[in-house]
Amino acid sequence: MRLEVKDIRKSFGEKEVLHGVNFQVVSGKALGLLGRNGAGKTTTIRILMDVFHADKGEILLDGRKFNPAKHQIGYLPEERGLYPKRTVMDQMIYLATLRGMKTAEAKGSAAKWLERLEVSEYADRKLETLSKGNQQKVQLAATLVCNPEIVILDEPFSGLDPVNSQILKDVVNELIADNRLVIFSSHQMSYVEEFCDNIAIIDHGQVVLAGELKEIKREYGRNRLILATQDDSLEALAEKTEKEWGELVSISGRKKEFLILELREGTDRKDFMERLVRSDVEVEKFGSYEPSLNDIFVSKVGEEG
Amino acid sequence: MKKFTTVLKFELKEYLGNKTFMILTVLLAALGAILLFLPRFVDMSGFTGVTVMEKETSGDEEKAEEEKDLFLYLDQSAIVREEVLEAVFPEVKWQKAADEAEVIAAVESQEAEAGFVVTGPGSYEYYVFNKTMADHNTAGFDQAMKAFYRMDTCEKNGWDLEEIAAMYDIPVTVTENVLNKDSESNYWYCYFLVILVFMLIVYYGQMIAVSVTNEKSNRAIEVLVTSTSPNSLLFGKVIAGAIAGVFQMGVVLGAVLIAYQMNREQWGGMLDMLLHIPGEVLLAFAFFGLGGYLFYAFLYGAMGALVSKTEDISKSVSGLMMVIMIVYFFSLLQLTNIDGEIIRVLSFLPVSSYSTMFARIAMGTVAPWEIILSFLILAVSTGAAGILGAKIYRMGTLRYGNPIKITTALKSLKKSE
Repeated sequence: MRLEVKDIRKSFGEKEVLHGVNFQVVSGKALGLLGRNGAGKTTTIRILMDVFHADKGEILLDGRKFNPAKHQIGYLPEERGLYPKRTVMDQMIYLATLRGMKTAEAKGSAAKWLERLEVSEYADRKLETLSKGNQQKVQLAATLVCNPEIVILDEPFSGLDPVNSQILKDVVNELIADNRLVIFSSHQMSYVEEFCDNIAIIDHGQVVLAGELKEIKREYGRNRLILATQDDSLEALAEKTEKEWGELVSISGRKKEFLILELREGTDRKDFMERLVRSDVEVEKFGSYEPSLNDIFVSKVGEEG
Repeated sequence: MKKFTTVLKFELKEYLGNKTFMILTVLLAALGAILLFLPRFVDMSGFTGVTVMEKETSGDEEKAEEEKDLFLYLDQSAIVREEVLEAVFPEVKWQKAADEAEVIAAVESQEAEAGFVVTGPGSYEYYVFNKTMADHNTAGFDQAMKAFYRMDTCEKNGWDLEEIAAMYDIPVTVTENVLNKDSESNYWYCYFLVILVFMLIVYYGQMIAVSVTNEKSNRAIEVLVTSTSPNSLLFGKVIAGAIAGVFQMGVVLGAVLIAYQMNREQWGGMLDMLLHIPGEVLLAFAFFGLGGYLFYAFLYGAMGALVSKTEDISKSVSGLMMVIMIVYFFSLLQLTNIDGEIIRVLSFLPVSSYSTMFARIAMGTVAPWEIILSFLILAVSTGAAGILGAKIYRMGTLRYGNPIKITTALKSLKKSE
C-alpha cells in the first residue's frame, strides 16, 4: 500500500495552520513524522483519520481517494486516554467492536495483544488501578486490537521504562516486518532513526524536509567535515579556522568534542587536508561529518523557534 | 447503526453496572414501598383517618376506663349536664366538686388534670396545673357550654331542641356529573408529574453532560472519534443516559404506584390525588414527558462537549438551566388557568410542550389535532436537537482548554457550513 498526502491545507477560523502538507508512506517502511510542538503533526493526523476535514488537497491510497472508514486503522494519540473506571478487557472489546470486529473475535484479539504486551494479568482490572507504564501498554494494545493495516503511533515511548520500551520496540519492528503501513511521530529522534526509513519534518504547517532518511543524512553530511586538535580548545580552534582557513571552510556547528566545518564552494576536501598538514596543529579528529537526525531536525526547524 | 448500538450497550453498562446507581435505585424503590406499606403494620389512623389495627379485648377497655384523666367541675348556675360532658370528652372521667377550693386543690395536687367552675350560663373558669401547647380543653368546654345553654333555653320555653337542630342542619346531597375533565382532582397528578419530569431533565441531563465531558477530560475521545462517527457517539451516549434515567425513575415510581395500589384501602384513598393516576394521563406523560426529556438530554450532551473539565459544566449548562426553570415555573403557574392563551401557546413549543401539553390533556380541553401537531413539533425538534448536538459535539470534542461559548460554537458551525 502507498499512502500519499498531497497539498493538504487547513484553517481554523481565519488562521491557516497547514499550508500544503505533502508526504508519502509505503507498507513495510515506517515514516517518521517530525515537528516541533504546534507544528501541525496532530492536525495532519486528524485529517488523515477524517476527524477534521481538509480545506484543500487530497489523501490517496494506492492512487485512489483514501476513506479511513473502509480500512482498519490503529491510532495511538499523543493525548492518551481510555476509561479509568472500566476494566481493561471491557474497553478493549468496546474499541474493537467499534472498529467493526465481532465480539468473540474482539475478545480473542484483545487477549492476544494483552499477552503480547505482557499485561494480560490486568485484563479484569480497572484501568485506573494500573501503573502509568502498564496503562500505556494497554493503550497500545487497544490501538492494535483491531489488527490494523495502517498504524499511527504518536509518541508511543513516552512514559515507558527501558524494559517496556524494548517490548514496544519489538512490537513496532514486528508491525513493520508484517508489512503494515506505519506512521511514527516522536520527539525522541533515536527511536525514529531506529524504525523509520523515511521522514517528513513539518514546521509551521508545511513540510520542510521529506524523503529517505539515509539519503537525507548523506546530503546533510556532504561537504561537511569534523575537526578537533590536541592542544587547542574548541574556541581557539574556531578562531584559528576562521583566520587561517576561512577562504576554504566555514564553521557550521560545534559539538562537545569537535567543530563541524563546511567546505566553501569550489573547495574540495583534498585542498583543506593539504593546508591542515602544512599548519602547525596536531590533528586529533578529522573526517566526514555524519549528522544525527537530531542535528538535521535542529538545523531545519530550530533556528526559527 | 451498528456502531450506535455498540456505544449504547457500552454506555448502558456504565450506568447499570455501577453499584452506586443500582443500590440507589433499589433503596429509593424500597423506601417508597415501605412507607406505603406502613399503615398495614402501624396504627396511622391519626394521619390517615383509617383504623386498621384491631381493638384490644374488653378487659383492656376497662383498664382504659381506669386510666382516663380526671376532670373536676363545679356548677354554680345549675346548667351543666354530665352526659354532654362525657360525649364531648370521651377520654375523661368527670367528677362534681363541692366548691371552688376543692377544684383548685385537686388541680394543684395534680390529682385532677383540669377543673372547670361554671359561673354563669355563658361563663366559666378553667384551672390547669401546666398548660401544654396541645391543651384544647377550653375549646371542648366552649362547645359543651353552648349545648347546655341551648338545652336549658329550649326546656324553659317548651321548644323541641331536635326539631330546631334538624331545621338548621338540613343535610344536602350532591351528585357531581363531570362530563369532560375534573381539573380539581387531576391538578395534583399534573403538579406531581411536572415536577417529576423537571427532576428527570435536570438530574439526568446533568449526568449526561458529565459523561460527555469526562470523555474529553480523560482523553478517551481522542480514540473514539477516530473509531466511529460523532453521531453514533452522541446519540449512543444520550440515549443510554436517557434509558438509565427512565429505568431508575420507572423502578422507583413503579414500586411506589404498586405499593400504593396494594395499600390504597389502608390509606383511605388519601394519596389518590397524587398516586392514583389514570392510564390516559400516564400515556400522555410517556409521550410528552419522555419526548421533552430526550430533547433536553441532547442539548445537555452538546453543552457537555463545550467544556473540557467537569467543574465547568455548571457554567456551560446555565443558559439551558434558565430555560428549563422558566418553563417549569410557567407550567406550574398556568395549571390554574389550563385553557388560557399562554398555556395554549406554550403547549406547542418544544421547550415547554413536555409539561404544558400533557397538563392540557389531563386537565383542559384540547383537540386531537393539537395533540398530534404538538407531538410532531416535539419529535422533529428532538431530532434536530440531536443533529445539532452531534455537530456541536464534533466541533467541541477535540478543542481543549477554555470552555467554548454556545454562541461561538453556533457561529463556528454556521461558518463551516
